[in-house]
Amino acid sequence: MSLPRCSNAHRLVGVVVCALLLGGCSMMLPQTTALQDNRPARLPDQVRLGKVPFVAQDDNLCGPASLKMVLAGAGTDATLDELKREVFIPGRQGSLQAEMLAAPRRHGLVGYQLKPQLEDVLREVAAGTPVIVLQDYGVWPVSVWHYAVVIGYDYPRHRVILHTGLKPAMEMPFAVLEYLWKQSSYWAMVAEPPDRLPATATETRYVEAVAAVEKAGNLDAARVAYQTALARWPDDVKAAVGLANVHHERGELKQAEAVLRAAVERHPDSAILLNNLAQTLSDMGRNTEALAVIDRAPAVGGDFADAVRQTRDQILERTRSAAAR
Amino acid sequence: MNATIMKIIGRLLVVSMFALPFQTVQAAMIGTDQVASAAGAGVQRANLINTVARPDVARQLQALGVDATTAKERVAAMTDAEVQSLANNINALPAGANNAAWGWALVIALAIWAWYSYR
Repeated sequence: MSLPRCSNAHRLVGVVVCALLLGGCSMMLPQTTALQDNRPARLPDQVRLGKVPFVAQDDNLCGPASLKMVLAGAGTDATLDELKREVFIPGRQGSLQAEMLAAPRRHGLVGYQLKPQLEDVLREVAAGTPVIVLQDYGVWPVSVWHYAVVIGYDYPRHRVILHTGLKPAMEMPFAVLEYLWKQSSYWAMVAEPPDRLPATATETRYVEAVAAVEKAGNLDAARVAYQTALARWPDDVKAAVGLANVHHERGELKQAEAVLRAAVERHPDSAILLNNLAQTLSDMGRNTEALAVIDRAPAVGGDFADAVRQTRDQILERTRSAAAR
Repeated sequence: MNATIMKIIGRLLVVSMFALPFQTVQAAMIGTDQVASAAGAGVQRANLINTVARPDVARQLQALGVDATTAKERVAAMTDAEVQSLANNINALPAGANNAAWGWALVIALAIWAWYSYR
């Protein structure tokens, strides 16, 4: 069954059902209403991303299929089988949101969950990034969850364009999208190459997403993405700590030192930065410098007092054993 | 039966780990995930997740038909918060699948759209 073009009969039924059952639609679809009333600034009229190939699926594989489309949009190839192995759960006959966000990390991309706003979806698409949305085609109390990929929109006609199920480039009114999307609390994600900041990225969310890439063990992608974050938000402590940790992990102690020094300059009192800088210096055998750095960190109180104390002990220990030799 | 025992052991472990604070901090780089953030979990919570929640989620994935090695890799790609969200809810969380059965939703969606078109 395809989404029918609206006939008069449909409209009549629609108006009646709506009036009887729902009463206040504008209360139900706040985002569509907002977009009708206020056009977001600097949003192109029409966008359609030709670079996103359509991957048909009719076997409960909309998760892997959506990922394949989005990855291809980001210039990364992955097979459907591979993605199926990464996100599909046979016992649930579907894929979970957490794993959808995790999968791009394994392919060197940053999975980023958008703020729950239709406007942000349109902005990402306008910036050239396809967006996965989680929709619910069921009716209370039954949910029928489905991932689809937004690849374009037509603002004057209030339509989004979706690759969904067996239908490439299906047009769907904003209102219908919102109704189907709402149940997932407007869940939407993108997968971006690490050197590219999502158009709607916010500092905390993005750095969290990058930390997740580091945690997943993809250090190459994490390093580049941390640099991307620092280029945009040079004051971010977490991104600096993360970048230095990636360098440290790979034995690039000089680079770790440089990153931490720059960050300490901005945040002279950060116990984490001081601790990690001292540790890095000590690991390079520069224990005198390390001691001077760690002595600037508070050894009492604060969440990291224990870590600071132990780093200090270790530096003293290393100094002693170096002197004994 | 086996699963029940594992669950009980798991719970005992959780309680004991919370009840008996232990010190595992070593002189080392402080991890990125410990920098204050919305999802900030302390060292001890993080330990708990690695020792209890991750293997538990991997086991649940296996029970749902994912093979053992794959399940481990999949859990490894998740953050602590993601692992936690799955740990208790893997059978209830939305699992996006297909949209074959969309009769009623479509009628209602169309109704709403019609209303908006006339608005």
